Amino acid sequence: MTANIPAIPLGDAHHDAEAEYREEHLMLDPRPREEMNNMVLESMRDKSLSFWVTAGVLGMLVAVALFGAWGYMIANGMGVTGIRRPVFWGVFIANFVFWIGISHAGTFVSAILRVFKAEFRRPFTRAAELMTTFGLAAAGLYPLIHLGRTWRFYWMIPYPNQRWLWPNFHSPLVWDMIAITTYLLSSTMYLYLPLIPDLAMARDHSEGWAKKIYGWLAMGWRGTEAEFRHLNTAINIFAFAIIPVMFSVHTIVAWDFAVSKVVGWHSTVFGPYFVTGAILSGVSAVTMVLALIRGTMKNMKYFIRPEHFDALGKLVLIFSMSWGYFFFNDFNLEWYGGEAAGHAVMEYHTKGPLAWIWYGMLIANLIIPWATLWNKNVRRNPWAMFVIGFIINLGMYAERYMIVTFVLSRGRMPFDWGWYKPSLVELAISLGSIALFLFLYVVASRLIPLVPVWEVQEGQLAHTLRKIGRATVISVSELE
Amino acid sequence: MSEAAKEKWGMVIDLDACDGCQACVTACSLENNVAFAGEESVAYGHGMHWLRIQRYWEGEYPNITARYRPVMCQQCGAAPCEPVCPVFATYHSEAEQINVQVYNRCIGTRYCANNCPYEARTFNWFDFEWPEPLNAQLNPDVTVRRRGIMEKCTFCIQRIRRAEEDAKAEGREVADGEVQPACAQSCPTQAIVFGNLADPESKVSRLARSARAEKLLEDLGTEPKVIYLKGGSDRDR
Amino acid sequence: MSEKSTHAHMAVFAKIDHIAEALERLREFGIQEKDMSVISGYPISDEMLGRPMVWSNVPKIAMGGFIGAFIISIALNWGTPLLYPIHVGGQPLLPVPPTIILTFEISMLGLMLSTFLGVLWESLFPSYGPKIYHPDVSHGKIGLVFTCPDDQCAAIHKALTEAGAEWVRQMEAKPL
Repeated sequence: MTANIPAIPLGDAHHDAEAEYREEHLMLDPRPREEMNNMVLESMRDKSLSFWVTAGVLGMLVAVALFGAWGYMIANGMGVTGIRRPVFWGVFIANFVFWIGISHAGTFVSAILRVFKAEFRRPFTRAAELMTTFGLAAAGLYPLIHLGRTWRFYWMIPYPNQRWLWPNFHSPLVWDMIAITTYLLSSTMYLYLPLIPDLAMARDHSEGWAKKIYGWLAMGWRGTEAEFRHLNTAINIFAFAIIPVMFSVHTIVAWDFAVSKVVGWHSTVFGPYFVTGAILSGVSAVTMVLALIRGTMKNMKYFIRPEHFDALGKLVLIFSMSWGYFFFNDFNLEWYGGEAAGHAVMEYHTKGPLAWIWYGMLIANLIIPWATLWNKNVRRNPWAMFVIGFIINLGMYAERYMIVTFVLSRGRMPFDWGWYKPSLVELAISLGSIALFLFLYVVASRLIPLVPVWEVQEGQLAHTLRKIGRATVISVSELE
Repeated sequence: MSEAAKEKWGMVIDLDACDGCQACVTACSLENNVAFAGEESVAYGHGMHWLRIQRYWEGEYPNITARYRPVMCQQCGAAPCEPVCPVFATYHSEAEQINVQVYNRCIGTRYCANNCPYEARTFNWFDFEWPEPLNAQLNPDVTVRRRGIMEKCTFCIQRIRRAEEDAKAEGREVADGEVQPACAQSCPTQAIVFGNLADPESKVSRLARSARAEKLLEDLGTEPKVIYLKGGSDRDR
Repeated sequence: MSEKSTHAHMAVFAKIDHIAEALERLREFGIQEKDMSVISGYPISDEMLGRPMVWSNVPKIAMGGFIGAFIISIALNWGTPLLYPIHVGGQPLLPVPPTIILTFEISMLGLMLSTFLGVLWESLFPSYGPKIYHPDVSHGKIGLVFTCPDDQCAAIHKALTEAGAEWVRQMEAKPL
């Protein structure tokens, strides 16, 4: 049985170079379609004991730490948190910004890399898009969690109502709600569209109930020319349209702070500064998730290779540098020309009792990636990338924590200065939302094909080796 | 906005006369059903005062002076708290030219409190209770707020409304000095004067024209309706 | 063509070259382009098969959604404040910058929702009725579905097998 993919034309004397290429690049290491289907389906169906334990523990954490603590807070009032005058926002908002940042991973990896035809994206676009959707699910809870009267959240939604009252479109929170709705819906559709052919593949490989469900989700997909034409057209429109939406969502999150009159928030650089930080933390999180997938799921060592960590590592390094650039912009102008109120905010960061968080952020976001990621061997090591990604995400979380709570601690009138420390309830809810993200991800990884088989096959079809002079080089054809 | 409005309520606070006695704070809480959070909660940052007396120390010991400044909602003409509210729970009242808070619309995003440069807003962290017989002190003219709602100084709008209705029933204008918020009424040194800034002859307008007049954080462009008369000092800064 | 009895058939190939060749053969038998279609597990372009381009209305539908959502957004931003005027923070009743932000978001939502719905509309999804299909397609083969008059059947089957088909047979539409 041969593949429908033209095998790499084999040269005579260059077996060594070719073997190296095959080992290095997934795109040059084609496998027959049916074999690849089975590899992906096997990893999806493999439900070992450790899977059930992980899913069970995460599910319990979601129930107890997230919904239990949230329910307790709703029943008693926001006073059970550590939020106190003048710091009216706390870790809930920091978590919100953090998860929105994580959600930038998928769109960045899959849309931007798709638009620029970066071929290494192919095996993990779906893994990254899932992070977008579930990151948004975690993020989207926080605007509800942090409301004093959660049970009235729907008053923010524009609909004709008995009170004759429409939402205030001047409010950044309304912008937020609409932007997040847009992003959540569009990223979910963008996840679903390329999934349809793989759902059809899963349908053809299942029996009984599973076949019914996959068949229902695949909506009658067969793979005709017209179906692929419409699908590819739509995916292209999405890839282009979702990029500005991604930028706008995090810019609006930044504007929640920047449009205010608060010293330390009112800054024109906040939009791009937040977007860069979000991509930094999002791409770092992609490396973490890929390392976990590769380490724990069957057959994933074939799909996720050191070349992918290498490429993502370069992106992380670039975004760490960009983040440093925007951070310094923000810092330097306040340091040089800022007014007294701004200096008070700055001193609270650099010399206050919690200054270690600020220095920790600099180490995690700048020093560690700059000291390690220039090295190819580090970038190609999945577990090293996991650790670096984790540290960067800690640093990015610290950044959000300080932007929310440090700045509010130092208002314009020194008499009203205060401070903030999260309470146990807030920590439980934060932990619960991490569990929610992981729970959704772990469950999804066993329900849908995590690797877009048809996209990988298409990519392998496009890649060949050709000889130029004595050298064997990779050649990529434009199939569309 | 419409400066030609018939009413533009404002307040003048003479810092020279304020001795920081806290009578206004007490009176305000009683008039407006402001919950008593208790000593520990207030220290924690869960206090509910609509009005607080900022106390700053000036000079070095032994030449030290305490300076007091009662700060409440400044009823800004261009209030930073208003546009950020997603549900119009706080907005600019055209009739009274003050910043009003509709408790029942509030969903508790607390954005307004963050954006208020005067830190004038307080949040209902819990359902506070008035155990028997303290519930008898509740003012029937003012809503009792439940948990999760933002609140703030209203310039005792219930008193403004009552004076307006009395005047209307008698077919006359509201007289100068007829409306007194609880803080002004209770101030033993009469440091707080309240009235209609739209009437150039009212006491509050005349005091507002004083050379000592200043507004708090005026450069932010918030157009506050509270005017402070700068305190001189023994050492004359 | 007169009213001849026709049936659906399906042939399965392993290679794109073979199926391109098979399509040529079908044309020689006088089968119309509309009576044949290729189904595959990954996209194969029209040029590779030498087939007329499939036109997609998805971009038009997407643009329609964008315009519709744009109008809705303007109505929300500049209509609803007139129903119940509330002044906030010294800002105008109908502010421009927030309208730009919201109009962008809502219009993009309209664009993407209609793109998605456009795919369903254009592909007639979801459709759970019976169709000509064989799971070999998702096993990596490329299928060729065609309808031909019964009297030509045998000749066409033979021609397609010569062109490289792994199997050719008459198919009944079945639920997938």
